[in-house]
Amino acid sequence: MSGAAKFKNKVKISERHGGGEWLAERVLLTALLPLGLWVASTGFTLAGAAYDAVLDWFAKPLNAVLLSVTAVLLFGYLSLAWKVILEDYVPQIGARKALTGLVNLVFFVLAAASLFFIVRLALGSAPLPAGIGA
Amino acid sequence: MTQPKPNPGVASGDRTGRFVIQPNGHLTPLSPHMGIWRWHVTMAASILFRATLIAASVGLVFVVAWLGALAFGPETYETALALAGSPLGLFVGFGLTVILFSFILNGARHTINDTGNGLTIKSATALSNIAVWAPVPLAILFWVVLFAVGRVSL
Repeated sequence: MSGAAKFKNKVKISERHGGGEWLAERVLLTALLPLGLWVASTGFTLAGAAYDAVLDWFAKPLNAVLLSVTAVLLFGYLSLAWKVILEDYVPQIGARKALTGLVNLVFFVLAAASLFFIVRLALGSAPLPAGIGA
Repeated sequence: MTQPKPNPGVASGDRTGRFVIQPNGHLTPLSPHMGIWRWHVTMAASILFRATLIAASVGLVFVVAWLGALAFGPETYETALALAGSPLGLFVGFGLTVILFSFILNGARHTINDTGNGLTIKSATALSNIAVWAPVPLAILFWVVLFAVGRVSL
């Protein structure tokens, strides 16, 4: 909240938005529940698996696409979750904005790295760092 | 933001003894504060969902590291697999499964409650009990089966 509170019909205007964020949290969480079950079964399949077996798993487009979707939705949801937590426990606006920005940056980097790795594994690219600076 | 000042003893028969005048002029009771609460499992479920999301944020670093190890080739992956098979690695792996089941069950509770369902005291308590207690036995079952079928070994 910044600046003086504005009123419309004697009700604070800030009370009239924020619904979109709530809806985004609900939609993301609902989508992540079946994906979570899929991740559990995937974890069971890939636990302790050999390198070639894991690459075979990634070579199937459905697996690579589902994992990418899961990564994007999950990091997006966690970003919103941390925003709510920081809003609840960090009262100083400057510190809260800095921490929210930091959290978003971390999740963006993790999501980007995940997609980068998943795409390379799905395409059967040569092991890193081949293709980067060499 | 100016805090509405508590106005003690405005209305008789109220249980808080404190009413506030809202910005729109309405007189409403002050929300129960830190001093007025009673432990209930719904509260534990709510707190644990946040704890799960914070733990998941840390745990996902390990998952991304696993993806990275795969992308860096067989030797790196073997190293990662050896680390994951060490006692500490297995502990982290067990924690990841607890987090995952907690996320699924507590997320399901949250979603059910958000659609306006399961909000009677009895059903809210039942959903919360599942979300709080079930992840650990489920994770134990997950790892017992993994060991039993020989997928993972010490």
